[in-house]
Parts: sequence; structure tokens; C-alpha cells
Amino acid sequence: MEKNVPRLTVSDFIALTNQTLEYAYPGVEVEGEVASFKVNQEKYVFFDIKDASGSVNCFMTVWQLRVPIENGMKVIITATPKLTQWGKFSLTVRAIRPSGEGSLKKSFELLREKLDKEGLFAVERKRALPGLPHHVAVISSVQAAGYADFVKILDDRWGGLQIDVASVQVQGAGAPDQMIQALKYFNSQESLPEVIVIIRGGGSADDLSAFNDELLVREIAASRIPTLVGVGHEVDVSLADMVADVRAATPSNAAQILVPDRSEVIRAVRRQVQSLLPRTEQAIDNKILGVRAQLSDVIVAIDRRHTRQQDQLDALRRVLAELDPRKVLTRGYALVRGQIAPGNIIEIEKSDIVITAEVQHARKK
Amino acid sequence: MPEKNSTSISEKTIKLNELVEWFDSDDFELEEALDKFAEAEKLASEIEADLLAMKNSITVVKKKFNEAE
Repeated sequence: MEKNVPRLTVSDFIALTNQTLEYAYPGVEVEGEVASFKVNQEKYVFFDIKDASGSVNCFMTVWQLRVPIENGMKVIITATPKLTQWGKFSLTVRAIRPSGEGSLKKSFELLREKLDKEGLFAVERKRALPGLPHHVAVISSVQAAGYADFVKILDDRWGGLQIDVASVQVQGAGAPDQMIQALKYFNSQESLPEVIVIIRGGGSADDLSAFNDELLVREIAASRIPTLVGVGHEVDVSLADMVADVRAATPSNAAQILVPDRSEVIRAVRRQVQSLLPRTEQAIDNKILGVRAQLSDVIVAIDRRHTRQQDQLDALRRVLAELDPRKVLTRGYALVRGQIAPGNIIEIEKSDIVITAEVQHARKK
Repeated sequence: MPEKNSTSISEKTIKLNELVEWFDSDDFELEEALDKFAEAEKLASEIEADLLAMKNSITVVKKKFNEAE
């Protein structure tokens, strides 16, 4: 036996090797292409990860498989190297995610198709958001620019909201689980928020791939509370967007969808009050017109009455004029004044002359 | 309290809408209109002031979501 060289049993050697590997690689990410992908007993997943000059066996359980994987797909695995008891070297995979635009797109399409068949994206499932929420839950990273944009727009547009924020990773391997936990947390609160908003700013397809995680998408679909998801830029579409009750194009757009703009409300209120003034003025004008019309009627009535009375007066005047003794005199008659008795002096008035005469004789007719 | 403030705005908005409807209704009386108009103006000013004064209250949940359940 060589000096200082340990002699071990096979089992001890395997255990020591694994201990050494675990110490050297507590976790390692390996990027490569998937080959020989198979699922056994619907529980265990086996595949090789390879590049141009090497290949390593990989093992994982089905429930750790969060995105659809196919042979030829480029992936990044998070794994621990292990020597099995049969002396076979493999990577025990904790997480796997597509890498590169082509693989991300392929994985996205496969999962989209699967979930679509289950009806998760159906329009009938979509719920309306509350018209004006008071209690809002937000799932995002408080460090992220998208979150800052959301809060700024929200504060500009409206106030009085109670906003509970679950600060989580929004990219990387741990992001989906953290967002799932946050969703479960808000859905289990005694006082439920009225809406859950999930937001993240723009990033590469890989950065945003957390929002295409199958379990996260299912958790959003299962949320008791209506969901609003705004991830990335306008052109980015994630499965989380698609399953949400309402999709926002960006985090800023999520704030716009969530609450009205107070400036708009103030303008509308002002317009409402201003609209009362013309109505009142119109009513005053109508009233004036009405009073004028009434006044006009009164004047016409008075005028008519005046005319009638004037006519009556004129008629009386005419009668009076006819009765005027002077008019009778003009027709040749004379007015005699004095006691008619022989010898008396009387006065005889004609229309143009007054005669003083003595009565010589008077007899009854 | 944010909710109380919002409710108050909501109540004032309802009252304002009722006043506006009165101006369009058969109940409209010119003698009352000026008082009602003054009331509407006052409500609008209060709504505007309330809206501008409202602040959001943000609480970051203390729970760590990176820990296993």
C-alpha cells in the first residue's frame, strides 16, 4: 500500500467522491444541448446535456420540470454532480431553463399550446378588475426600474390606495417560486386585496423567461384575486400576461389601467359645473322672455280696455252733443226765459241773438 | 385614512351628479338654481382639493419569499 494513500470500500469511495464533488460544486450551471430526453413512469426525467465534444447524463424529477423540453433544445441546467452507486456519473438537476432565442421560443410555444388546450387563456375565464380599488397587492422587485415607474405613475394618477408589495426576484431560477409564494401569500390573507399586480420592466428574453414558468402561470390562473400583469415592453408577451385577467403592455401601463387619472377627473368635474351655467342662463333668458310676453299681454289687454272705454266715452259725447240746447237753437228753435204772462218781460235766445220782449198775449194750446 | 377619503370623494361626486341632474329635471326652479349652482361649485372645489391631497400608502411585506414554505 502506498504511503498516505487511503484505502476505501467502494461505498466509501463513492460517498467521498460525492462529498468532494458537493464541496467543489455546491451548485453548478451547465449550458448545452438536450439529447436522449425521456420521462420514465411519469416521474423521472433522464437526458444528456452535450456540446460539440462532450456529453453528461442528467437526472431530475418531473415536478422539477417547469418548462417543456425537447431534444435539440439549448438549455441551462442548475445541478449537482453525483456519482451513483453503480459508478455512473450524472448531474442531478434542480432546475432547467431554455437558453437562446430559438429554445426559449420553442419552449414558450410548446407550453402555450399545452395550456391553451386546457383553456387557461380562454376569454370566459377573464375577470374584470375593480373599478376603483382601495387595496392593491403588488408582486415585483422593489429595486426594479419597472416597479419605480409603476409607483410614480400610480402616485401621479391617484391616491388613497393601500398598496402591499411583495418584493421578489423577477428574473433568474428562483423568481418563479418566489412569485408563486407571493401569490399564495396574498390569496391567503384574511383581508384580501382587490387586485394583484405583477410587474417587471424590460429585459432580454432570458430575463423575462421566469414569466413563462408553468407553475407560475397555473398559480396566476388559480388566484382568487383578479390579476393584472405588466411585464417587459409592449412587444414582449409572456404566458403570465396571457393567463392574467388583464394584460398591461408595461408596468406604467398597469398603473394606467389600475386607477383613473385624477387630473382627468378634476377636469371632468369642472366641465360638469361649467355646464350648469349656460343652463341657468338659458333658464333666466326663458324666464325674461316669459315675463316680457306676459307684460305684452297685459299691455294689449289694457290698451283694448282703454279703447273700449274711449269708444263708450265718444258715444256719450256724441249723445251729449246732440242734447246740447245750443245745437237745438241752430236748427231754428229759440229758448224763452221768464214768466209767460201778459205784460211780463221775457228773454228769447236764438242761436245768434238774444231778444228781450214783452208778453202781449198767452193762451193754452 | 385613505379609504375614508376616497369614500368622501365618492359621496361628494354622487351629490354633485344629483345636483347636475336637478338642473336637467322638471324640478328645476330658477329661484333655487343660484343656490344649487353655488353648492355645485363648492363640491367641485372640495373634490379637486381632496383628489390632490390623496397619497398612496405603500407597505413592503416583511415576509421573505425566497424561503421554502
